[in-house]
Amino acid sequence: MLYRVIDGSELPLLVEAFLERYEVIAPVQTKKGYAFAPVDSFDQVALDYPSTVSSLKKYYLPQRETLFRFDAETNEVLDLEVEVRPRVLFGAHACDINAINCLNSVFEDARYPDPYYEAHRRSMLVVGISCTPTSECFCQLMDADEARSGYDLFLQDIGGRYLVSMNSVEAANILETACNPRVATDEDRRAFRQATRRRQESFNPAIPDIQEIPMLMDAFHSDAFWDELGERCLSCTACSAVCPTCHCFDIRDVLDPDGRIGERERVWDACTSPQFATVTGGHNFRPTGRERVRHRMYHKLNGFLATHDRNLCVGCGRCVRACKANISPIEVLRFFEKKGAEDAE
Amino acid sequence: MVVVGLASCFGCQINLTNAEAHLMDILSQVDVEYWQLTSSDPMPEDFDIAVIEGAVTTKEAAETVKALRGIADTVITIGACANTGGIPGLAAEGAGYEERIAAVYGATVPAACGTMVAPSAVGEHIAVDYEVACCPVEPLDFARVLQHALYGSNVQQLTATLCGECKRNERGCFYEDGTLCLGLVTRCGCGARCPSLGRPCKGCAGLSADANLKGARAISAGCGIPTGRFEEVLRIFNHGEGGGDSTEARSEREG
Repeated sequence: MLYRVIDGSELPLLVEAFLERYEVIAPVQTKKGYAFAPVDSFDQVALDYPSTVSSLKKYYLPQRETLFRFDAETNEVLDLEVEVRPRVLFGAHACDINAINCLNSVFEDARYPDPYYEAHRRSMLVVGISCTPTSECFCQLMDADEARSGYDLFLQDIGGRYLVSMNSVEAANILETACNPRVATDEDRRAFRQATRRRQESFNPAIPDIQEIPMLMDAFHSDAFWDELGERCLSCTACSAVCPTCHCFDIRDVLDPDGRIGERERVWDACTSPQFATVTGGHNFRPTGRERVRHRMYHKLNGFLATHDRNLCVGCGRCVRACKANISPIEVLRFFEKKGAEDAE
Repeated sequence: MVVVGLASCFGCQINLTNAEAHLMDILSQVDVEYWQLTSSDPMPEDFDIAVIEGAVTTKEAAETVKALRGIADTVITIGACANTGGIPGLAAEGAGYEERIAAVYGATVPAACGTMVAPSAVGEHIAVDYEVACCPVEPLDFARVLQHALYGSNVQQLTATLCGECKRNERGCFYEDGTLCLGLVTRCGCGARCPSLGRPCKGCAGLSADANLKGARAISAGCGIPTGRFEEVLRIFNHGEGGGDSTEARSEREG
């Protein structure tokens, strides 16, 4: 890994250089928060955004994506030209980069290659930026507070200047052309350590740090806690809509108004949607909120880890804010804390 | 196909004709044999598909929907009035129906009104095969439902509630400023159109069969919304015993 330092005043130059060749996606302020959206100038970028309502996954796995078109009368598949724009995702936090790494490990599994996902991913540069945790952030508990891979550049704010980790030749070339990156000094490295410590000390101490979460998930699989969460669940699927790693989808055929031509499309689905586990014949394997909420938490805090060696929850806090019923991984951690305290008595 | 209007503003039928760019594409897939709004041709004796807008508010209307069901293979109801009783259904709320009629018509109800009964959803009188939701319906939603009836479909009918669609639109939440929104319990499918235009959901798509009314009431109360306000807004499109309201949701509300 190569590290260089640029001045804060050089950031606009970097974004402008990207804008010449790419569509630039960055955090922008909206009416009631922040969202990732295309920008046409550095001025629109909300560099110090706390978090966004929704995540970056929409650029890898769009809410609705046409897989191909077909002629409904002859039952023949028609060609579909997929046009993917080269993009820069500018200003991704470490949790979101780790979330993209989760998606990559699912959709780039060599056994089940997904050409649609790969087309998006290949066209993307990711530029990360350091952040200050919000009161709902718990990425450090999910081992997702640092991005060790999955980005092209990562900008660490070290006070008026940025320590830049460079991870790809393409992005490094753009950085070197647009800015005057210099070699990091001892003082820069000291400032980096201080910034890292500050971030680590800023996490909400009220969110319990629980060891052995996957084991506890299995141990409390039948606890009444899940009934409680299930009874609160509104079955709205807001959690999975805002989640940067929820990646389940449904595939369906939709006809044009005249019924002659159709599209096979992929749309987001969610295991908290009541029909998610309904199979042919009508049986629903997870008929109540209890089973659905528990299933989602298991995949986040237990199941994915076993097959992909990382947590599917990155602790970004989005579902904590989106769920009106106060159901989130934090509630699960609090439950384990309570159980631990009871056992100690 | 026949299109029949019962008690309603006829806005759903009008809105179907608003799909001007696609209207002929949509209607060319069927033979429209009867549609009073567009032609004075009489109702044929036989047809395959009956499309019904509006609530049942008279004994005659109840007979009409039964007759339609007896002939048609497929019955499609369009809009909140037909699906849940909708706005006419408000008159059936509580025990005050007779007094409301007297307040409007006095002692004698004009013969032209027919034999009036408390308004109800079409689904309370006959089996309905497909519903096109909302007030008014979106013409392209109608096209999809019609195609489903004609050719079959692998698109699932979801009972998830609206908040998920709102989050897909990357919106904040009305409850953050203590504003009541029925997205918590209303079935999804409209794309959370009203919230995306800055208006809270009033529930015109109908309660989800999986609506968690108890949970939603607790959330509403927790945001400082006066008790009773939730029920008041819920009644607009989802009155007491209205259709589109699952047995579970109904017993939940009564309990």
